[in-house]
Amino acid sequence: MTYVTSIILIAISTALINNMVFHFFVGNCPFIGVSRRVSTAFGMGAAVTFVTTLAALLSWTVTYFILRPSPCPSAAGGQPFTLAAWVWEKFGGNPKATVDLSILGYTVYIFLIAFAVQLVEMYVRKFFPPLYKAFGVFLPLITTNCVILFVCLEVSKHCIAGSPDFWNLDRTLIYSFFAGVGFMLAIVLMGGIREELDFANIPRPLRGPGITLIITGILALAFMGFTGVDKNLNELTRPKQAQAAKMVQTPSSPPAASTQPAGHNTVPQETPRLP
Amino acid sequence: MTAVIVLLALAAATMLLLGILAGYLLGWASKTFHVEVDPRQEQVLVALPGANCGGCGYVGCAEYAEAVVQKGEQLDKCTVGGASCAKALAAILGVELKQSWPRRPIVHCGAKFADRLKRNEYLGEQTCSAANIISGVQGCAYGCLGLEDCERACRFDAIHMIDGLATVDYEKCVGCGACEKACPRHIISMVPFKAERMLAVTCSNKDPGRDVKAVCRVGCTGCGLCQKVSSLFKVEDNLSRIDYDAYDPGKTDEFQAAIEKCPMKRIVFVGKPSEKDLAAVAEEKLPGVIQPDFRTTADEAEWRG
Repeated sequence: MTYVTSIILIAISTALINNMVFHFFVGNCPFIGVSRRVSTAFGMGAAVTFVTTLAALLSWTVTYFILRPSPCPSAAGGQPFTLAAWVWEKFGGNPKATVDLSILGYTVYIFLIAFAVQLVEMYVRKFFPPLYKAFGVFLPLITTNCVILFVCLEVSKHCIAGSPDFWNLDRTLIYSFFAGVGFMLAIVLMGGIREELDFANIPRPLRGPGITLIITGILALAFMGFTGVDKNLNELTRPKQAQAAKMVQTPSSPPAASTQPAGHNTVPQETPRLP
Repeated sequence: MTAVIVLLALAAATMLLLGILAGYLLGWASKTFHVEVDPRQEQVLVALPGANCGGCGYVGCAEYAEAVVQKGEQLDKCTVGGASCAKALAAILGVELKQSWPRRPIVHCGAKFADRLKRNEYLGEQTCSAANIISGVQGCAYGCLGLEDCERACRFDAIHMIDGLATVDYEKCVGCGACEKACPRHIISMVPFKAERMLAVTCSNKDPGRDVKAVCRVGCTGCGLCQKVSSLFKVEDNLSRIDYDAYDPGKTDEFQAAIEKCPMKRIVFVGKPSEKDLAAVAEEKLPGVIQPDFRTTADEAEWRG
């Protein structure tokens, strides 16, 4: 699989199949609050995309070099170890122990997100005043947007060096960028629908967030239709010989494990059932 | 035991390290990326209510403050802060406050159902915004549709449909401007009320006179008679308008002739009822039994199969 194909597959599986809003149901507050007009929805989506990428970069760096579980330097045997493990051994800790600071995860990620938002706000205000006018209102709201925390936690889950689903920095950046794009897609879609909803006679108890949540559910069902797209695409992009080799294989053997670029692109086991 | 203490120390040290790093970076950034702002702008922002409601027409209080200081925007735009807020802003900027009038809506349409021609039965969504996007609901493409978008938007029960025409109850109206925003045909405008009763041209039709007569019994034909007898009126796009900046409620002789000349009787007074109006209905008996209004007790939601 070439690099470009893997990027395309990550993009599709994060933005469409495992869409932040429609699959994981995170980021619902801004999704409902700021989706009244397409223009503001787009502003929010773009701001979230930007901050998500930046926060994922920061949290990957901090997790990889400090927080993740790691062996001590003397026991690592050439494997990369964290700063914490180095300090641990230096100050007389058991060199056979695994040093794990991932309990700090939530605190550190919220801290990093707030830091990133602050920095971005100052930077944009200085150098891109028109952009600040367009996005400035949304930036403080993003600090508490759970899409970003979710992406950071997801990144930290895949930050254990040596494990089979380890994400290096570029994969993390691609993943987080397309997670933001998926959120933007969802919120812009909803903005367009809600602009049309203004013309509809909605029963009063359902007006506002009520009808928005119902439509979100319907859209989520529609987005389930993307399930499996990445797998078929993967088959298509595979070299012809490999396909032939696969056909020769016994039919009962499972497909190669490398068909899954992102963590959550499998078919959901439990289909949501109506009460 | 020591392991736990070392681990705790490690965690604390990590947080401390990150904190110092981030604090240092942010401090550096706030100096490097500092934007020079007029100090008056910050003072204005403090003086504003900070509701960020957008009532002034700007995105938030900060943007309005910027407009006030840099573009010389009017000081009385904040509806939440009101007169005291405008006074505070004037004190900060060192300017004298022009006298401001309360703004109240005027419905620029005077045609009741009986006056509107070429009306068709409309069975679609019973809202003006929906009826406005199709043609043929009624002949006049400018006038009131009578489907109560403004009435629903009003939180003060101050605008009602009377014979299909939006009519403002000026006793209850507070001038929030919700009806102006709700009207898809933009026939409601907010006007500075310099007196309890204001002169208004209650028509919005911009078509030539013949076309107006074809769709309405009372519409302004743009004949220009009012323009000839009074400088207060100006006919543009076949529609007479009043210059409210020049309007002085004390000088009745300026516009009395125009009121009398208007062939369609479209130049009328709107506002709180005058003493004459009250005296006219004072003799009338109140109804003995007041019927409950079903709309105040039942849900307005409609189901259409």
